[in-house]
Amino acid sequence: MDSKRRGFLKSAAMAAAGSMVLGDATFSLPVLGAADAPTDGDALTWNKAPCRFCGTGCHVQVGVHEGRVVAVAGDKAADVNKGLLCVKGYHVGGILYGEDRLTKPLLRKDGKLVPIEWDEAIDIIAKRIMDAPEKFAFYGSGQWTIPEGYAAQKLMKGGLSNNHIDPNARLCMASAVTGFLATYGVDEPAGCYADLDACDVLITWGNNPAEMHPVLFSRVTDRRSRGEKVRIIDISTRRTRTTDAANDYLEMDPHGDVAIALGIMNQLIESNSYDKDFVEKHCAFRSPESESPTLQGQAISEDEFRKRIAAYTPERVEELSGVPADQIRMLGKLFGQRDLRITSLWCMGMNQHTMGTAINSLVHGVHLLSGHFGRPGDAPTSLTGQPSACGTVREVGTLAHALPGGRLVAKPDHRAQCEGFWNLPAGRINATPGYHTVKMFDQFTLPTDEGGDINTLFVQVTNPGQTLPNLNKLFNDKEKLKDKFLIVSEVYPTATTQLADLILPAALWVEKNGIYGNSERRTQQWFKMVDPPGEARDDTWMTIAIAHRLLELGHEGMKDKDGEFIFAVKDDQGQEIPIWEFEHYYDTNVDKHLFEEYRQFTTMKHKNLAPYDEYVKARGLRWPVVQQDDGSWRETKFRFAGFDDPFVAEGKEFDFYHSTSGDGRAQIWFHDYQPPPEVPDEEYPMWLCTGRVLEHWHTGTMTRRLPQLNRAMPTAYVEMNLQDALAQNIRQGETVLIESRRGTTELPVWIDGRGRPPRGTVFVPFFDETKLINNCTLDEHDPFSKQPDYKKCAVRVRKLNEASS
Amino acid sequence: MPPPADDNHRRRKPTLNRRDLLHGRLWKLVRLPDRPSPVMRYPKTRDDVDNSASESKTAPPRSIGGIAIEPVRPTLFDESPPAKSFPIFRPPGAVEESQFLAGCTRCRDCSDACPHDAIVQAPERLGQVAGTPTIDADTNACLMCDGLPCITACKPGVLNHSLPKTIGTATITEHLCLAHHSTTCTVCSERCPTQGVIEVTDGKPTINEDQCTGCGVCRYVCPAPENAILLMPLFNRPSLPR
Repeated sequence: MDSKRRGFLKSAAMAAAGSMVLGDATFSLPVLGAADAPTDGDALTWNKAPCRFCGTGCHVQVGVHEGRVVAVAGDKAADVNKGLLCVKGYHVGGILYGEDRLTKPLLRKDGKLVPIEWDEAIDIIAKRIMDAPEKFAFYGSGQWTIPEGYAAQKLMKGGLSNNHIDPNARLCMASAVTGFLATYGVDEPAGCYADLDACDVLITWGNNPAEMHPVLFSRVTDRRSRGEKVRIIDISTRRTRTTDAANDYLEMDPHGDVAIALGIMNQLIESNSYDKDFVEKHCAFRSPESESPTLQGQAISEDEFRKRIAAYTPERVEELSGVPADQIRMLGKLFGQRDLRITSLWCMGMNQHTMGTAINSLVHGVHLLSGHFGRPGDAPTSLTGQPSACGTVREVGTLAHALPGGRLVAKPDHRAQCEGFWNLPAGRINATPGYHTVKMFDQFTLPTDEGGDINTLFVQVTNPGQTLPNLNKLFNDKEKLKDKFLIVSEVYPTATTQLADLILPAALWVEKNGIYGNSERRTQQWFKMVDPPGEARDDTWMTIAIAHRLLELGHEGMKDKDGEFIFAVKDDQGQEIPIWEFEHYYDTNVDKHLFEEYRQFTTMKHKNLAPYDEYVKARGLRWPVVQQDDGSWRETKFRFAGFDDPFVAEGKEFDFYHSTSGDGRAQIWFHDYQPPPEVPDEEYPMWLCTGRVLEHWHTGTMTRRLPQLNRAMPTAYVEMNLQDALAQNIRQGETVLIESRRGTTELPVWIDGRGRPPRGTVFVPFFDETKLINNCTLDEHDPFSKQPDYKKCAVRVRKLNEASS
Repeated sequence: MPPPADDNHRRRKPTLNRRDLLHGRLWKLVRLPDRPSPVMRYPKTRDDVDNSASESKTAPPRSIGGIAIEPVRPTLFDESPPAKSFPIFRPPGAVEESQFLAGCTRCRDCSDACPHDAIVQAPERLGQVAGTPTIDADTNACLMCDGLPCITACKPGVLNHSLPKTIGTATITEHLCLAHHSTTCTVCSERCPTQGVIEVTDGKPTINEDQCTGCGVCRYVCPAPENAILLMPLFNRPSLPR
């Protein structure tokens, strides 16, 4: 190769993202400042960070020049994305620089927001808490970093003896948690993304990873383009971009997934093709109690299981799910083949479901019964939508009923352990679970004299004014209630700050230190790289500053057993560092102190974490991370399987060491099909499904401020079937009114667009704050997880002129 | 790093033929990582389009073994040389550039008529072109609306309903296109106002240049870090009889 050609190849490769020609030292495709494309010896400093958006947990390389993020590239050293990013990921650096960043605390006085000083803001919050500590609630997020969530958790449960702390993740993956708990006795997937590199069959259950987790989906489609055979089976209520890549598309009616899972188990039993050896050694059967069912359920015999499952013949399943009986038989046969590797993926389709716990347990059950478990490529894997839904919410346990490390407030020994770790007097932690999300906002928007016993609500890192279901009931009523006080920590004005009484400007992403935990148990750390704008400050700092102000006001809960501040951080000389003063907050690494304290909690459920400094070196590590004899730290890819999990005893093939039955067995559940809470009728004849789009992340507060993404997807829309549109004489692009029993919203129609719903179904994304579809959705929720069902309710579509007449 | 999927040249297994071997072209055996296959692109002209349409009807040029034996067309010295102008995006239905410059009164009626604010005045620095209507897809793309009100509004008739509505051609720069880098992106094909122009196969878009009107919507919406749509104005437009 002559030098000219080599030069050409090099420049061509530089231009191409994700090329292998150059080593890890250079990165291509900068997002901002394209003219300063990173080359050797340029003025940029590069550092790693997980992407701010979804639960995939891709790593990006962030290029900083003179205190400003000027470039973003996929991180080739990262195992999750191997240098690849999705459409949003390339733009993640731009989220810091929207024009309307909040930079000053704002207090609502006589209906107007006026700038105030931080000291006053912290003082107002502390005094409101001091007045009625039990009426204070903290609403957080799966976008909280681990230290942010841990600090909030400690302030509430360890300091205020108040369990009214819940995260938006309740709306997102609570049913996945209950599914894992009911089946394995411990939360989070056994497998990991490596399953996608090894599976022969990928089943997407009401899941659209091509748009929502594109980097993961490309791991599968790339294998195909390399000539490998991967069969993709898409089970869904509408055609999506995932369907475009699927070999089989099984169109089900809403709630049909429950029947399909039961049908597969029926076929495995009928044809006697289930994995008898695996079931006999490692599984037990369970069903919910007939009266007041619990997550524990009751043991049933295999015969009893056979008897009940016998009712779900392919023909019956066809009736319930709309999927032809032959297709159910096909799935049954597929799972009966032991030589295949089958990975199931799901996300909100199965979680935002009034039978969420049931369908999660049933899909685990299908994999257990068929023995498609515990080998690379054989796994039931749930995906999360938020970057730290797993790391912060599920592991730190920032839920109304939970304590860190998989503990529960209801269990005396768990409370005692936490009081021990936190050095608190016995009995400090309240034994009664607090309000879960729907209940919390119900109580907040209910007038005090009618029993609404939450009067101060602190919202961090999330946007409930857009994401709560049935907004008119759960959020919008706040406006009329003058004695209720809403505090919102945000980076941009949102639907939530519209009703806020006090707005705190927050630091975002690489403007602060952070640690996230992604969908595959990977804990990922990053450092602060640039200063936040104006007076924006870290969320962890806010929590600690409020706690310290409470201490000054004399709140006894802010002291531990020895009279020390519960968030005290000491320097090498034993002097307390005043981290509650922001100018001293970065005198030390508060994240590291909190993380090292939190680590102690993680061993009970065998979710062992490595020391903070190990995460500084790695692009994330998957727990359990255990120390080897040589002092190094080893992550775990496959849990419960003897070949990889360090907690499975030597010589054992499998061990479900947190089994709810205490005998090392996983539970195969039986749940009867139940119809959805609201079905279309004459008055409201259409199904409404809501969800996300590729270009925007969640409520769009960040992505809608990026011009390129906003041009690519400027508005929410309603996807309609052509026949439905023709029947109502609705034209492409026409604005229509979507009405449910709870509210309305106006949206332009997109026929045969990106998603193609069947007749009688419409789909609306929820990212657009100018078109709030959650005015229409339902607040019915799963009985175990309390997660609402955003995926199905009854609506009608009306032309605007008809609606106005 | 999984090689971002398939152009045809990468899917094919690298092979050597005898001639390659004799010339020592062993590098052909190396499977190259993802790189754009170099494509020389020429702007499309109206004449090309017309020829390609008529070619199918008439006999192909005579050739022996692939070498054309048609006589070379003599140079006609009495033909006036084409007026010097540079290609610029004009609204749909614009006449040949010298006629356009002569006829356009810079009255701005067409930009006033445009419901999408896509037609703007060419800036001062463009000399004789300054003040004439043009379209910059980076700011606002032409949506080729029904009835084309810009043409109807044009009193001097330099925009004319009888002329083709094509204003240029879009092509995809593959090494910049995210769909060619293994991620899902289908925005250009979804928003293209002319049906069937942008087709997606295996998740990757291709533009049918013969049908593309050059409206620039795809360039306007492309979310790639560096815009993956290359938009070229028509070089030659048909004239109207004087």
